Amino acid sequence: MPDSIIKLEDVWKIYLLDKVELTALKGVSLEINPGDFVTVMGPSGSGKSTLLNMIGALDFPTKGKLFLNGKDVSLLSENELALLRGKTIGFIFQEFNLLPNLNALQNVMLPMIFQGVPEKERVEKAKRLLVSVGLEGRIMHQPAELSGGERQRVAIARSFANDPEMVIADEPTGNLDSKTGKMIMEILEKFHSEKKKTIVVVTHDPNIAGYSEKIVNIKDGEVVVNHHQASEILWQK
Amino acid sequence: MAEIGSSLFKGETKEYFSIALRNIRTRSLRSWLTILGIVIGVFLIISLLSLSEGLKSTITKQLKSLGGEMIFVMPGDMSNPLSMFMGGSKFERQDIEAIGNAEGVDKVLSMSYQSGVARYGEESKTIFLAGIPMKIGIEVLEKFQGWSLEKGRWPNTGKREVIIGQQVANEIFKEKVGVNTEITIKGRRFEIVGILNSLGSKSDDSYIYMDMSLYEWLTGEKKGTAQQVIVKIQDGSNLDQVAENIKESLQETRKRRAGTDTVDFSVITSEKMGDIAGNILGVIQIVIVAFASIAIIVGGIGITNTMFTSVRERTKEIGIMKAIGAKNSAILTIFLMEAGIIGSIGGVGGTLLGVFFAKLIEIYGQVHPLFYFAASISPGLIIFGLVFPFFVGCIAGLLPAKQAASMKPVEALRRFE
Repeated sequence: MPDSIIKLEDVWKIYLLDKVELTALKGVSLEINPGDFVTVMGPSGSGKSTLLNMIGALDFPTKGKLFLNGKDVSLLSENELALLRGKTIGFIFQEFNLLPNLNALQNVMLPMIFQGVPEKERVEKAKRLLVSVGLEGRIMHQPAELSGGERQRVAIARSFANDPEMVIADEPTGNLDSKTGKMIMEILEKFHSEKKKTIVVVTHDPNIAGYSEKIVNIKDGEVVVNHHQASEILWQK
Repeated sequence: MAEIGSSLFKGETKEYFSIALRNIRTRSLRSWLTILGIVIGVFLIISLLSLSEGLKSTITKQLKSLGGEMIFVMPGDMSNPLSMFMGGSKFERQDIEAIGNAEGVDKVLSMSYQSGVARYGEESKTIFLAGIPMKIGIEVLEKFQGWSLEKGRWPNTGKREVIIGQQVANEIFKEKVGVNTEITIKGRRFEIVGILNSLGSKSDDSYIYMDMSLYEWLTGEKKGTAQQVIVKIQDGSNLDQVAENIKESLQETRKRRAGTDTVDFSVITSEKMGDIAGNILGVIQIVIVAFASIAIIVGGIGITNTMFTSVRERTKEIGIMKAIGAKNSAILTIFLMEAGIIGSIGGVGGTLLGVFFAKLIEIYGQVHPLFYFAASISPGLIIFGLVFPFFVGCIAGLLPAKQAASMKPVEALRRFE
C-alpha cells in the first residue's frame, strides 16, 4: 500500500460572513493514493469546491490537518506553497481561467515560466502538450478565438505543463455541452492512463464520475459514502 | 525588495516584461492618459531647465565678453530697481570728472542713449541712438568689450558719420542697410560708415552709435552728461578697491554739490554683475524644478491610481497565476514592471517633447530679436529625463503591486464569480 498523496484529517472549514458562521466542511477525513482517479460528487453548496481548493493548496483548513505529498500544508511558507501549486499540482477550472491576453502557447508555458524552465524547453513542451490535446492548429490563438471545449483543452495542457503529481479539476465539463464534455473527460482519462498521475475531479454529473475509479460523495460538508467502485454509485442511482 | 532583485536576474524576467507590456496594451486609452501625466511633468522639467540653463550660459558669455576688469557706474540705486529702469537720473560733468579722478581709474567711457526716429530709404523706424566719445571709446571698446567692424571703418569725429549694429543692418529695415549709404535721423542726414559685428545681445545690436559731440548736437542734451559710465582700471589695480574708490569720490562730489548723503548711483564690477545674474537665475531654476516636480508627483499619483484599478480588474488573473504556481515576487515584479514601463514611456515622450520645445524657442528667439539664445540640453538632463520617470513609476506602482502580490489565491479566484 503506497503512502497517500492527499490526506485530510478531520478537516473543518468555517467561513465568517457578516458575523454569521458558515461551516463548509465538517470534519472531513480522506485519503487519496498516488495514481488514483477520484471523483468528488455532491450537490451545489455541499462543500466539494471548498474541499478541492484545499487539495489544490489554494485554501486552508480552519481546523484539522491537510497533507499533500506527505507535507503538512499549514507548515509551508508562501514560496513553498507557490512551488507546491506550480510543480506538484495541476489545476483545471470550470470556467477555464486562461489569461485573456496570452495566446494558447503562452498560457500553457506560463506555469513553466514561473518554475524557471528554459525558453527552448518550455516552448517545445507546450507545443507537444497542445498537440496531444488536439490543438495543433490553434497554438497561436487567443482564448477569445477559441471555443469552450478548445479553451478547456488548453487548460488541460497547462495543468500538465510541469508534470505534476496530481491534477485536480473543478467541474471541468460544467460549462460545456455533453459531447465536448465527453471529449474532455477522455483526454483526462488518456493522461491518467499514460502518465499514471493522480486525478481528482469535482462534479455533480454521474456520467463524468463514470470515468473514475473512486468516488467520494459529499453532502452538507461531510463525506457521506466513500465508494471504492464507481459502479456502486452509478448502480445506486 | 531582495525577492524582486533575485527574480530580475532570472530568465523569466523577459516573460514578465512581455506580460506587463501586454497588460498595458489591453487597456491602451487608460495607459496613454496615465503616460500623458508623466509626459507633462518631464516635458516641463526638460524644456524649462534647458531654457534657463541656456539663458544662464548666454548671460555668462555676455558678461565674459565685457572683460573682467571693467566697472560700470550707473545713476540710480541698484537696491531700488524702479529708479534704474525709469532712467531719469544722469551723471553731470562733475560726476564724470570725479570718477576719472578716483585712484586706480585708467579710462572713463561715458555713454548716453535715447530713442529717435530714423528713416532709411522709404522706411521710418524708431531706433535707439547711442553717443560714445569715439576717440577714447573705440580703443576701450575694441580691446575690452570685443567690438569689431564687419564692414567699413570707425567714424571720424567732427563729421556726420555713424556706425550701426547687426540688427539695424539686417533686421529692422526691410531693405538691408549697407555701408556708405545715407540714413536720416531726427530729420538730419548721416552717413553710415561701418557695420559692427554682433555684440552678443540683440538690444546692443539694435543701436546706431555716434560720437558723443554729434549725439549732443543731435539730441540737444546737456554737454558732458552721461547715462552710464564704463571704467577701465589701471593695470595691476584691484577691481573691488577701485570700485570702492569711485564710490567714495563720487559721493564726495555729490555731497559738496547737492548737500545730500543719499546714494543714487550704483558701482558694479563685471564680476558682481555675473554674480547677481547667476543668483537670480539660480532662484528661477529652483522655482522651475519645484513646480515641475509637483507635476511629476501628480503624474506618479496617476500611475498609482491606474495600477490600483488594474489590480482590482485583474484580481482573478492574479488568482489564476497564483493557482498555477506564481510566487508573490513574480506578481510583484509583473506589476512593478508595468508601472515602470508607463513611467519610462512617459519619460521618453516628455524628454522628446521637451527638447523639441526648447529647440523651437531657440529658433524663434533667433528670428525675433530679444536676445541671442541657445537652449542648453546637456546629456545629464536627457539621462535624467529618461531614467528618473522609470523610478517614479516603480515607486508609484509599489503599493498596488504589493497589494496584488499579497492576495490570497482562493479569494482572488472567487472575484466576479
